[in-house]
Amino acid sequence: MRRAHVPAHPPPGRWGVTAGMASGTAQLARALRARKRRNAITAYLFLAPYLVLLLMFGMFPVGYAIGLSFFDTISGAFAGLSNYMLALEDFRLRRSFVNVFTYVAIWVSLMLAGVITLAVIIDMMPRRLGTAVRTMTFLPGAVTSAAVVVLWLFLLDPLVSPFGGVYALFGLGNRFQVIDAIGLASVFALMGFFAYAGGWIVVLHGALTALPEEVMEAARMDGCKPVAMAWRIKIPMIWRSIALMAVLSIANGLQLFVEPHLLGLAGPQLARNDWSLNQLAYQYAFSLGDFGVSAALSTITLALAMSIALWIVLGTRFYRIDQ
Amino acid sequence: MSGARTTIRRRPRRKLAFWQLAAGLIVLFAMCFFGLPLLWLFLAATQTDASLFSEPPLSFGSWENVGQTWTNLVTYEGTQLGTWALNSLIYSVGGVGLSLVAALPAGYALATHAFPGRRAILLVTMVAMITPNAAVVLPIFLEMNLLGLNNTRISIILATAFFPFGVYLAFIYFATSLPREILNSARVDGASPWQVFRWIALPLAKPAIALIAFFSFVANWSNYFLAFVLLSDDELYNLPVGLTSLISGARALSFSAATGIPVRRPEAIQAALLLVLPVLVIFLFSQRFIRTGQLAGSEKG
Repeated sequence: MRRAHVPAHPPPGRWGVTAGMASGTAQLARALRARKRRNAITAYLFLAPYLVLLLMFGMFPVGYAIGLSFFDTISGAFAGLSNYMLALEDFRLRRSFVNVFTYVAIWVSLMLAGVITLAVIIDMMPRRLGTAVRTMTFLPGAVTSAAVVVLWLFLLDPLVSPFGGVYALFGLGNRFQVIDAIGLASVFALMGFFAYAGGWIVVLHGALTALPEEVMEAARMDGCKPVAMAWRIKIPMIWRSIALMAVLSIANGLQLFVEPHLLGLAGPQLARNDWSLNQLAYQYAFSLGDFGVSAALSTITLALAMSIALWIVLGTRFYRIDQ
Repeated sequence: MSGARTTIRRRPRRKLAFWQLAAGLIVLFAMCFFGLPLLWLFLAATQTDASLFSEPPLSFGSWENVGQTWTNLVTYEGTQLGTWALNSLIYSVGGVGLSLVAALPAGYALATHAFPGRRAILLVTMVAMITPNAAVVLPIFLEMNLLGLNNTRISIILATAFFPFGVYLAFIYFATSLPREILNSARVDGASPWQVFRWIALPLAKPAIALIAFFSFVANWSNYFLAFVLLSDDELYNLPVGLTSLISGARALSFSAATGIPVRRPEAIQAALLLVLPVLVIFLFSQRFIRTGQLAGSEKG
C-alpha cells in the first residue's frame, strides 16, 4: 500500500502543457481553467451514483434523526429538548447504559487479551501450522447475527453442549443457571469474541509479519528471549493496530442489538427487550410509536459512534485521506 | 519408564521451555473454543430432538435424521424457506451489484482526479465507513417511513448499496496499483475519460472488485437488524429474519417439551447451518485475500 505512482498533486489537466507554454498569456490561463473545470465535472460524474447513495443513506438519515429528535412526532409540534428529557428520565436508560458499558468493557478486554496472545503465538509457530490455527479461529466469523445466538443457546445448555464437562465442574445443571452464573454481559461478550476474534487475529498477524526482520534479528543477537521479544518489541511495534481494534470494538459494542434481542428465542424467561441502548430506541419507535424519543436515543448513540469515527480519521493516521 | 530413559539417552533433546508449553496449551484451548462449536453445529444437525440429549455431544446421528429434519423444516406451514432464501439472494446480489456500480467509479475519481471537494468527500466516506451500521438502522427506518418505502425490497437493496468501505478499498486500489503512465498515454491517444475508466482502469481492478464483492456479500447475507426493522411482511423476510421468526414462532428452543410442532431443536440447528454455510464456503475459498491487512477496515467489532 505504498504511494509509489501517485504524485502529491495530480496534474491539473492533460499534460500537453509545459512550463514554457504556460508563460502567462490570458488565453492559456483561460484554457487551463476550462480544463480544470472539465476535470472536476468528469470527477463528479464518476462520483454521482455514490454521492446519491451517500446523501440518501449517510447524510439524510442522520440529519433527519437529529431533526426529528427536537419534535413531538405525535402532535407534530416543535418540542425543544423534551424528547431528550423524556429519554433521560426513563429509568431503563441508566440500566441500558450500565449493561452496554459492562458488555463493552468485558468484550474489549477479551479481545485485547485473546487476540494479541493468539496473534503473537501464531506468529512464532511454523508457517503451515500457524496458517491452520489462524484459519480455525477465522471460520467462526461465518456464524453471525441470528446464527450465533442460536448456536450459543445450545453451547450454554449443559445438556447438549460440547462444553458440558466445564459446566458440570461448576455444578451448573441447566441453561438458566449457566447464564446466571456467567452473566448476560459476559454471554454477549463471549458470542462477540467467538465471531470476531478471528478477523482481528488476521489483521494483527498481518501487522506482525510486516515488522522489519532486522529489528528482530538484532534483538535475537542481543540475547532477547522469545517471550520478552513478543512483549517488549513486537507488541509495542504493532500498538497502532491494537488500538484500532480496541477503538472499533468499543464503537461497535455500543450498538449492541441482535444478541440480546434474539435471546428470547430460548423462551420468555430470557427475553430482554430493553437490555441495550439500541433496543430501548427500538422499543420507543415500535412499541410506543414515539419516533421523537426514539430519534433522540438514536442521536445519542450515533453521536458517540461518530465522535469515535471522526477521532480515528482526523486524530490518528490509520486511514489516509491524502495520497 | 525405561522407554523414556532410552529416548533421552539416544537423543539428548533440548527441554521444552515453559513458554512453549504455555503457548501450546493456549493454542489447544483456542482450537477447542473456536473449533468445537462449529464441529458441534454440523454434527448436531444429524441428530433427532431426542437423540440430541441422549447421545453424547459431538456424536454423529444419521443421514436419515438429516433428511427428516430437512423435510420438517421445509414442509412446516409457517416456513417459506424458498422465498426467504431467494430474498436473501436478491438482497445480497442486488446490494453487491449496486455497491460495485457506485464504489468503483467513485474510488477511481477520488484516486485519479484533483477537484474541489475531494478531501471532504473522502473524509465523510471514512467517517461513514467507521460508524457502525447498527447506529444508522433506526434513522434509516425513520427516513424510509417518511418516504413510504418501508417494507419494500428496494429499501433494503438501496440501503446496503451504500457501502463506503467499498469506496475506500477502490480508492486505495486505484491510488496505489494503477500505473499513471498507462492512463496518460490512453488520454494522449484521445480516449475519453469514460473510455479510460471502462477499458483500462476497470480491467485492471479485478482484485479490488473481488475484495469489495466479498465484504459486501458477507455483510449483506447475514444482515439481521436492518431487515428486521424495515420489513414487516413475512413474504419479504430474508433468511436471518425469517428463520428466527420461525424458531420463535414454533418455540423450537424453549423448554416446553411437547409443542406438537415438528420444528424443534434439530430444525433450528439446520436453519442456522443454512445461514452459515454460504459464508463459510466463501471464507474457505477466499483465504487468498484474507491474509491481507485490508480486513482492518471491514472489521466491525
